[in-house]
Amino acid sequence: MVENYAVLPCNGLDKSAGVISGEIAIKLCENEKNEIICPVFYRVTDAKYNKIAGEHPLLVIDGCPTRCASKLAAEKNLKISQKILITEEAKNHHIELNSGLRILENEKSLIEIILNGLNKAEAQHAQSSDENTIQFDFDYETFQNGKFNFRVPKNPQVYYNENDCWAWVFGNRARIGVTDFVQQNLSDILYFTPPEIGAEIDQFGEVGDIESSKALVALISPVSGEVVAINESLVQKPEMINENPYELGWVAEIELADFESDKELLIGFDKYFELMKKKVENTNG
Amino acid sequence: MSETTFMGVERGKIDWKPTIDYSKCDYCMECTKFCPHKVFEVHENDEIKLIVKNPNNCVVFCRACSKICGPDALSFPDKNATTQRIKEIRKEESNG
Repeated sequence: MVENYAVLPCNGLDKSAGVISGEIAIKLCENEKNEIICPVFYRVTDAKYNKIAGEHPLLVIDGCPTRCASKLAAEKNLKISQKILITEEAKNHHIELNSGLRILENEKSLIEIILNGLNKAEAQHAQSSDENTIQFDFDYETFQNGKFNFRVPKNPQVYYNENDCWAWVFGNRARIGVTDFVQQNLSDILYFTPPEIGAEIDQFGEVGDIESSKALVALISPVSGEVVAINESLVQKPEMINENPYELGWVAEIELADFESDKELLIGFDKYFELMKKKVENTNG
Repeated sequence: MSETTFMGVERGKIDWKPTIDYSKCDYCMECTKFCPHKVFEVHENDEIKLIVKNPNNCVVFCRACSKICGPDALSFPDKNATTQRIKEIRKEESNG
């Protein structure tokens, strides 16, 4: 059972997805150990909900990709433990939402699926242990721009794409993540959406999202293959990507499907270091 | 400023840009606020108030604006077809 959460729905009343977010929050808070946060009242006053949000892990429920609840959480500087996007859930489960604002059969089914999914995820989380024991010995080259340092690993096993993601290839696997360019641009990372273990990813396919109050960035996989591991620690501590996106802040591991072909469109340290410098200069004017 | 090449291929040769479905777009302009590359342009006084002004500024394979689009009005080309096309162009250019 999902419990002990502070639940922040967008509660948007002009779309069925928003109404569903509110309904799920109500259902979760019928369990007395969860606490609801009203987004409307929270905009007006901080005191009541800052306390609740400080005492419980935060579950954010956005209706549509405008992500009003996520934005509110970012404005209030809240750390998000878990997130649901109703329109995406509907798409994933092939459920068409009605254009009205009433909760009908389809909406009821989706609510049930999401609540069951939350319970399952909670159970898995309770059982999961940290098995991320592989250590890589990164050797960095750094350049500085103003007060910011940009590191790039020089190791020959590390490949880059021009979307600022890296892959350390070892045997038939690669560990992947974002570079310092991404984390410096995003500033404080507040939320990480991991890819699903077992998902088949094409080269340049998306393997998770990273969000700060400034932006949302999808991690574009440098390699193709199956996701065989994710960095579970990032779900609770996405700020580890800011601390070091290569070591503790790695994102996922991929069982390689066709690295020889993928390699054609990847670059090594020399080229990426120059490219990143150019990007930093352009970004800063 | 936009990159002029992507993976060694002239950016203008790569078809990667958002397409706006005007039947869904509600002109909330979240995409213009979100995209740092000035891909979109707002025409406040026109009937069509939002256009894709600088398609070549769009970062190839980035679809972030479509993810923050409330009415789901933005779409992108097929990623695999784009990858394939980049490989073909590189091959054509290396052959001569």
